[in-house]
Amino acid sequence: VGSRERGAGMQRDVSSLALAPGVKVKLIGAGFLSAGDLGELRPLELSREAGITQQEALEALEALRAARGEAEPGRGGRLTALELLQRERALGAVVTFCSALDRALGGGLPLGKTTEICGAPGVGKTQLCVQLAVDVQIPPCFGGLGGQAVYVDTEGSFLVQRAVDLAEAAVQHCGAVAGDAEQQEAMKEFTVETILSQLFLFRCHDYVELLAQTYLLPDFLSQHPKVRLVVIDSIAFPFRSNFEDLSLRTRLLNGLAQQLIQLATQHGVAVALTNQMTTKLGKSQSMLVPALGESWGHAATQRLLLHWEGPSRFASLYKSPSQREATVPFQITAQGFRDVPPADLQLPSADPSAAPSGDPPTSRKRPRADEGEL
Amino acid sequence: MTHDVSSAESGAQLFARLEGRSSLKNIEPRIFPEEGAPVPGDVVEFYGTEGTGKTETIYHLVARCILPAENGGLEVEVMFVDTDYHFDMLRLVSILEHRLPQSPEETIRMCLRRLFVVHCTSTVHLLLTLHYVENMFCSRPALCLLVIDSISAFYWIDRSNGGESVTQQESNLGKCSAFLEKLLRDYRIVLFASTQAIMRSYSGEPSRAAGASSSWRRCPAADGDYSKPYLCKAWQRLVTHQLAFSKTDARRDSRAVFSIASSSAGTKSTSRCFFCVTEGGVQFF
Amino acid sequence: MVFLREGLCPGLTEEVIQALRTQEIRTVEDLVSSELEELAQKCSISYKALVAIRRVLLTQHTGFPVSGADLYEELLSSMAILSTGNESLDVLLDAGLYTGEVTELAGGPGSGKTQVCLGVAVNISCVLKRTVLYIDTNGGLSASRLLQMVQSKTSNMEEQVEALNRILVCRVFDVFSLLETLHSLRSGGLEQASVRNGPIRAVLVDSVTAVLSHMLGGRQTEGMSLMMQVAGALRLIAKDLNVAVLVTNHVTRDGNGVLKAGLGQSWSHVPRTRVLLQRVDGPQARHSGLRWATLLKSSRQPCHQKQQFDLGSGGQPADSHPDHLQRREQEDVFKH
Repeated sequence: VGSRERGAGMQRDVSSLALAPGVKVKLIGAGFLSAGDLGELRPLELSREAGITQQEALEALEALRAARGEAEPGRGGRLTALELLQRERALGAVVTFCSALDRALGGGLPLGKTTEICGAPGVGKTQLCVQLAVDVQIPPCFGGLGGQAVYVDTEGSFLVQRAVDLAEAAVQHCGAVAGDAEQQEAMKEFTVETILSQLFLFRCHDYVELLAQTYLLPDFLSQHPKVRLVVIDSIAFPFRSNFEDLSLRTRLLNGLAQQLIQLATQHGVAVALTNQMTTKLGKSQSMLVPALGESWGHAATQRLLLHWEGPSRFASLYKSPSQREATVPFQITAQGFRDVPPADLQLPSADPSAAPSGDPPTSRKRPRADEGEL
Repeated sequence: MTHDVSSAESGAQLFARLEGRSSLKNIEPRIFPEEGAPVPGDVVEFYGTEGTGKTETIYHLVARCILPAENGGLEVEVMFVDTDYHFDMLRLVSILEHRLPQSPEETIRMCLRRLFVVHCTSTVHLLLTLHYVENMFCSRPALCLLVIDSISAFYWIDRSNGGESVTQQESNLGKCSAFLEKLLRDYRIVLFASTQAIMRSYSGEPSRAAGASSSWRRCPAADGDYSKPYLCKAWQRLVTHQLAFSKTDARRDSRAVFSIASSSAGTKSTSRCFFCVTEGGVQFF
Repeated sequence: MVFLREGLCPGLTEEVIQALRTQEIRTVEDLVSSELEELAQKCSISYKALVAIRRVLLTQHTGFPVSGADLYEELLSSMAILSTGNESLDVLLDAGLYTGEVTELAGGPGSGKTQVCLGVAVNISCVLKRTVLYIDTNGGLSASRLLQMVQSKTSNMEEQVEALNRILVCRVFDVFSLLETLHSLRSGGLEQASVRNGPIRAVLVDSVTAVLSHMLGGRQTEGMSLMMQVAGALRLIAKDLNVAVLVTNHVTRDGNGVLKAGLGQSWSHVPRTRVLLQRVDGPQARHSGLRWATLLKSSRQPCHQKQQFDLGSGGQPADSHPDHLQRREQEDVFKH
């Protein structure tokens, strides 16, 4: 079969390279259509031939070399599912201190994946995020990750006092169960002070700052290899107000989502994003759905919805590549994000029509006006 | 440029060039009314959005060309340029099988020997391929029909590669159009080309191809949303017939009903026909 | 396609190239479309030499017409249908994924696209014992879920390990890396990786939309160009390497609120077959793995057939509905 296509298609087209569109246009205009045409040219020759600056020529040749390098087998992150399984197992997860939710998530918030946490104001999104930022630091001898956390606060809702409370509770909890010498030793380092010092807080005031911060995160994580959790609380707030061009918003959000997935995969960190709920008018009733539009629903690998049912709080795992969908109860105590004691347990209603606000599965069928796709 | 070719022209080639080829006038009267039938040198554009029956209609017409005369075919040869890597041999064979009931497998193969398929991966590749197949048109007098499915395949790539300059965006397709014009003129063949309707036209917006040459073109009603011509003028000028495909809301035997609005520069009138797609291919009403 | 350079073909020396350049002949297509006799005079190159160069360049750089009969012969000997392991999907796809073709799964968030892809990968590697390339662009690939699915097919440890080894994984998160991966597959770069387990028979991309959607829209045409390059690369791989390609796509709604596949008109032509996945609504279906699969595009089967299946059960059909739900009243527009 291959002989029929001799010559064609074996060379990479210049238009498929990761170069500035303007440079590509000039290269192609000068007759450099395929990677082979650039061949053994020197930057000076190329800049003269194609009418681009030497800097651009240098970048073009480097991009070509990079593309060739990645095309070699064994590079570019190619592996078998068995190798991936070993890596996944080695990564682990961040516990939430709510055992029911940990079970539903398959051990906690998975490293290497992005998880979106949606919910109405006050239901406990920020509480869960702060809890995770503390829990990610639990020493390995207690079954933790001994990691550090990056917390990007876009709403100004991060309260240091609350972080101190949760850290104290976590330190107390570990101190109470500490048994062997190793655990006793680890407790010396696991203090409220160290927890706060290993929680890197970034405040972003608008979407431009958030995009810039996300762009810088890979470098930050390379410099801080112990970081195991990145929280963005919330992704929705900077993108909700004053956005006139909704298709631009969709594009920026989709690009952001890809950057975060790449970050999670390449640095082996768990990424948690919070999102608000928005009211959508339906035919018969209005309902609460996650904000930012339907296409944003694809953004995160997992989606967790926190919602009220009467006086009780529940977490529903709505989308997950590895876990079954499930709904579990939780509560927010002075100590943080916790299980509901069995005695207080109230089952979630099985009929979603009884809870018109915030049941995810039925809320998907309403069209959104702000979808920006073609 | 044909020196190397014409110097070696044989009697058969000369005959092919001068005597003209079999007529495709009767290829499908239900689509082309008598006065609007394609004659040698004509270019028929198959225009429509995805799922409006273009491909099925092309297979129907290709089948009609390559079928033996005793089975209602024209028994002529077809060159099929597959730029979309879309050509579905299994589908064509199943259409042929329905037209050749109880015929041995060998008859199908005989039909298929009248068909030549070539793939292209870019507009430049298309141009070079057209140059390459010129020899075949020269040496095979039975080769009457050139199909390009689709001529719009590389539109976005060419447009992006051309940057801000429309001339540069359109230069490759322009060269192809110029060479096609020569092929049509020198070898008296018919060209069928499909164009995917992808451009929304907004009311009041002057279309890019507006001008005397395209005034006969009919605006397809059902998919009027995507009726804006967008390929370069050199191509638009070549087109002599346009078939505008659309999907109607009607159903027959639970099958979707499609419509073709056929118009031509020669008659300046439009005729319409309806069909649905069955296992055995296109069925007209 | 190609810039004229020394050594491209016999006779194309540096001198000839320089002489051609004075006449603005820089690429193969320039040379091919020029008037050779005139050119020979202007460049003082022998006409015969130019004709020879042109002929060689043409044969090097064009596609070759193949007789339909040969193509059919080749197809019969090489074509395969790979069962997805999901009975309902196999019904819609007319037995499974066809090699040489691009098949698309479209669906909203949580509609089960990734789960179906994982199931297809496991069925091809574990049951059909073929090699699969799984290109993950959205982080949805979970090896532990693959293991669960493999374990449901076989309890033999060795077979489980073999099955997981036959699934090659590529994680790329931008369109350029995706194009690089597809290109290296095309030029044989992945042969080494697959040689142990036989050639790759299926390529899964979950999802194409993730790497494309943020590049589309606005006034830029680069995104559209890249999208069509991805489309071309996928179809080329399907045909030339004779593999089945399965991609996933998001959905949008048209003006009437009807779901349609994402990425717009230009992409809509790309897959040969398209299946829409949707959650089953209703109180009983909450947290269940029940999904509807609807055939939206096919060259083999009537469209709008619907099937229900359960994601959790490894794709056993929940109930068969050879859809009469969507059948409309028959109208006759041909009276007039």
